[in-house]
Amino acid sequence: MSENELSHLIKMANQIASNIGIGSTEEDCVKKVVTHITAFWALPMRQKICANMEEFAEDLNPIATKALLEIQANLKAA
Amino acid sequence: MLHFFDPRTDLDSEIDYGTPPATFDPTPDAELISLSIDGNEVRVPEGTSVMHAAAMAGINIPKLCATDSLEAFGSCRICLVQIEGRRGFPASCTTPAEAGMEVKTQNDKIGKLRRNVMELYISDHPLDCLTCPANGDCELQDMAGAVGLRNVRYTGQSAIPSHTHLDEKKDTSNPYFTFDASKCIVCNRCVRACEETQGTFALTISSRGFESKVSPGQDDAFMDSDCVSCGACVQACPTATLMETSIIDKGQPEHSVITTCAYCGVGCAFKADMKGDEVIRMTPWKGGKANRGHSCVKGRFAFGYATHQDRITSPMVRDSIDQPWRKVSFEEAFDVAATRIKGIQEKYGRNSVGGITSSRCTNEETYLVQKLVRAAFGNNNVDTCARVCHSPTGFGLKTTLGESAGTQTFDSVEKTDVIMVIGANPTDAHPVFGSRMKKRIREGAKLIVVDPRSIDLVNGPHVNADYHLQLMPGTNVAFVNAMAHVIVNEGLEAADFIAERCETEAFHEWKNFISDERHSPENTEQFTGIPAAYIRGAARLYATGGNGSIYYGLGVTEHSQGSSTVMGIANLAMLTGNVGRDGVGVNPLRGQNNVQGSCDMGSFPHELPGYRHISGQAVRDLFEDAWKVKLDPEPGYRITNMLDAAVEGSYKGLYVQGEDIAQSDPNTKHVEAALRNMECLIVQDIFLNETAKFAHVFLPGTSFLEKNGTFTNAERRISPVRKVMPPMPGLEDWQVTLGLSKALGYEMHYEHPSEIMAEIAALTPTFSNVTYERLDEEGSLQWPCNDETPYGTPIMHVDGFVRGKGFFALTEYVPTEEKVTRRFPLLLTTGRILSQYNVGAQTRRTENSSWHGEDTLEIHPQDAEDRGINTGDLVSLASRAGDTHLRALVSDRMQPGVVYTTFHHPETGANVITTDNSDWATNCPEYKVTAVQVDKLISETASSEWQNQFAEFTEQQIAFIDK
Repeated sequence: MSENELSHLIKMANQIASNIGIGSTEEDCVKKVVTHITAFWALPMRQKICANMEEFAEDLNPIATKALLEIQANLKAA
Repeated sequence: MLHFFDPRTDLDSEIDYGTPPATFDPTPDAELISLSIDGNEVRVPEGTSVMHAAAMAGINIPKLCATDSLEAFGSCRICLVQIEGRRGFPASCTTPAEAGMEVKTQNDKIGKLRRNVMELYISDHPLDCLTCPANGDCELQDMAGAVGLRNVRYTGQSAIPSHTHLDEKKDTSNPYFTFDASKCIVCNRCVRACEETQGTFALTISSRGFESKVSPGQDDAFMDSDCVSCGACVQACPTATLMETSIIDKGQPEHSVITTCAYCGVGCAFKADMKGDEVIRMTPWKGGKANRGHSCVKGRFAFGYATHQDRITSPMVRDSIDQPWRKVSFEEAFDVAATRIKGIQEKYGRNSVGGITSSRCTNEETYLVQKLVRAAFGNNNVDTCARVCHSPTGFGLKTTLGESAGTQTFDSVEKTDVIMVIGANPTDAHPVFGSRMKKRIREGAKLIVVDPRSIDLVNGPHVNADYHLQLMPGTNVAFVNAMAHVIVNEGLEAADFIAERCETEAFHEWKNFISDERHSPENTEQFTGIPAAYIRGAARLYATGGNGSIYYGLGVTEHSQGSSTVMGIANLAMLTGNVGRDGVGVNPLRGQNNVQGSCDMGSFPHELPGYRHISGQAVRDLFEDAWKVKLDPEPGYRITNMLDAAVEGSYKGLYVQGEDIAQSDPNTKHVEAALRNMECLIVQDIFLNETAKFAHVFLPGTSFLEKNGTFTNAERRISPVRKVMPPMPGLEDWQVTLGLSKALGYEMHYEHPSEIMAEIAALTPTFSNVTYERLDEEGSLQWPCNDETPYGTPIMHVDGFVRGKGFFALTEYVPTEEKVTRRFPLLLTTGRILSQYNVGAQTRRTENSSWHGEDTLEIHPQDAEDRGINTGDLVSLASRAGDTHLRALVSDRMQPGVVYTTFHHPETGANVITTDNSDWATNCPEYKVTAVQVDKLISETASSEWQNQFAEFTEQQIAFIDK
């Protein structure tokens, strides 16, 4: 895992959360981020960021973190 | 479907009617007037000239200064007629037809008058018709014949009180056409074409009387004047005065084929004028609905690249990029490519390979490449260069309006009252549409330009922006939010439209959001740099000035918030009710010729053709049934993700058709590192482009002249591309993809691209009525084209949005992470110039380089002075990503703090500077905002480290080709 690729993924997740993670409730915000990442990110990208998110937890913003936890759970369930 | 007379479509584009058709609304109530011409009853719309009416009846009144692309001028006096009950002999071009009028176009008196006039013309015209380049295509010669001229009494210098034009020198300064003033009859058609059609006003008539002559600028040579070499004057000239150099060299064409230009997203229709299988001229086709007979310097003249000596026409393979190429048969190349791709997938997994479709190739070819990736590679790792230009358009318009495409036709600009151009430079990047836009502005439409630079539209001949909102790069969202804030807080919104057409709950949530003071122009001024009063004025004008239209380009999309700005633009259009009719709308100006088409054809990794998400079981069933293969339900990698994964080492194989990511994509060093990590890079192109220098398999491609297919332009117009010469490599691009797919074990069966389109139509609801036969009949079709709209859909969202109700998306302004610092105090923004196209692979191999031989860095005089920089100085341009050296152009088109360059020349390395920041939603790179420093270089020859490496690598790779 290159730091470069992972840092890109973290940056992208934060950007998504900042841009669409806005709205009435936190639940809604998280849902929008989950939907977006699931719809547009390749499976290996989702797997990579979820596998490494604990190590880089402090780099992720709160909405992105919650969304990725949900995505992580979805990946495990699949 | 009822059909009413429409002068726009019911006229024969092969006939010159002499004057333009009258403005006419083809509705059931529209009335025609009736008149008699030479005893024939003719019914025409009111406002039609007698000349035009006669031509509609098949009566060709002789003319010289008249042509139907230009307004009537009435100077040549050849088109005289007699009208019952009227005195004299009025010019038929300037006389409007009236009900009950009885016109005689020919009798002895008229004939004598015409001969006298023609005699005067010919008295100052060389009689070298047999050796004249216009021989066979000369209106003067035709008219002399038509009027029966048999004798010229006034010949030679002695017969004329002043001097003639017979000894005028030729101006050969323009590489594409020659100006031979000795052949000029001063009909003004060239001057008027430059004004009316092109809108450049580069030509004039100097002096008076016999001294009158056409003059570029103030007696300048064409190349020293403001001429943009669009060819409109050449097209309008009735003699050999303005003549294509290729025709002078080779003579008149013997047949023509109508096809579609392969340059920008305007998609102009051209006649390829041929001698055998050689193209000797491209002339804009009057019947083309995108260009209406106009052209630019690229489409009109820059086609020589198709037969350039740099073309590579043999397949080549090699094991690694430090080895020479080996020419092989197509079969061997396919086998090598397929074996390596399969080997990589076995070793690294199914997701370790992918493909990039071309936004320059045809719809059919693009469709096949994405099909190959999904069916033969077994994943969805397919993307296209739209990723790096208009992917935010797809996302933003789909989210808000429901369809990933512009809402209008280009004709729509003729009905607009307020034009807002955001982050686009139509006169350079979409020049033919730019000319149509300028024409509407000259007619009185208001103009708002939103751009960090002072582009030509801001202050041009007879075109001036009412507002130039010169914002700082990276602050588009703050700008669109401020516009919306003013409209909402001042109660200027179209309340009825919103209530009827848009989602109520989403609108109220958005209204609360946008009403907040943080979006006020007084607050956003600190980010955008736009004075609040300007924003307020522009917002009021857009909201209340009549039909408001927004045209935008890559200055909107290529940002970290590109998708947000697109949604903000759609919000503005919905907020003001400017969607769903002529003259309004949201108009993305697409960069490359088939960017729209490549997106339509399922080139994005998350979507199948027709913008349907890959996760949908029903749509996958449809394609799985047709393609006889199981599809992966997961979205694939985007280009940027592919490159990241390649650098990381998990992505090893790539099939690139007709794209040059090594030059066009940002952060060149990162791209090069990714390409060097590939174990099998397959490049299909007409040249050994920058990407191909890193390739292991080269598959020779074909230009648009060598194949059949279709392109789809920025107005969703599907236009035919027709083969006019045999494919130089032996196979057309679509056949090459078939060969590769077969070698991969997935055979596809098509005998002709029309069969590929039949499959596209069968699987894509918006294309279901598109066939090659219909395209031949109609000339072009705008999708959606199906049973509901069999003639296509010029204007979208007429009775409702495609998604049902329009959606107001929240667009928070999130500043880019790319910040200026003391080390990098300036912002670089990149773009295009008129004469060059994209990475320049085509235009650099033509005489277009006479206008733009190298990329330069535009810098504001203050920033230049601070650094001791003068125009022409070699400067270093450095960012956090890299540095390069180029020459400076000190220009007050820039604002302080912002510099600009183009990326047409690979050795400049503009993208060595740009970073891998990208749009939050689509990963479209942030080309438009890079923090940089500019320094004057002492050495006059110094290249940057990257440039030295580039030169060495290029020399090595060219030596590896066994020509």
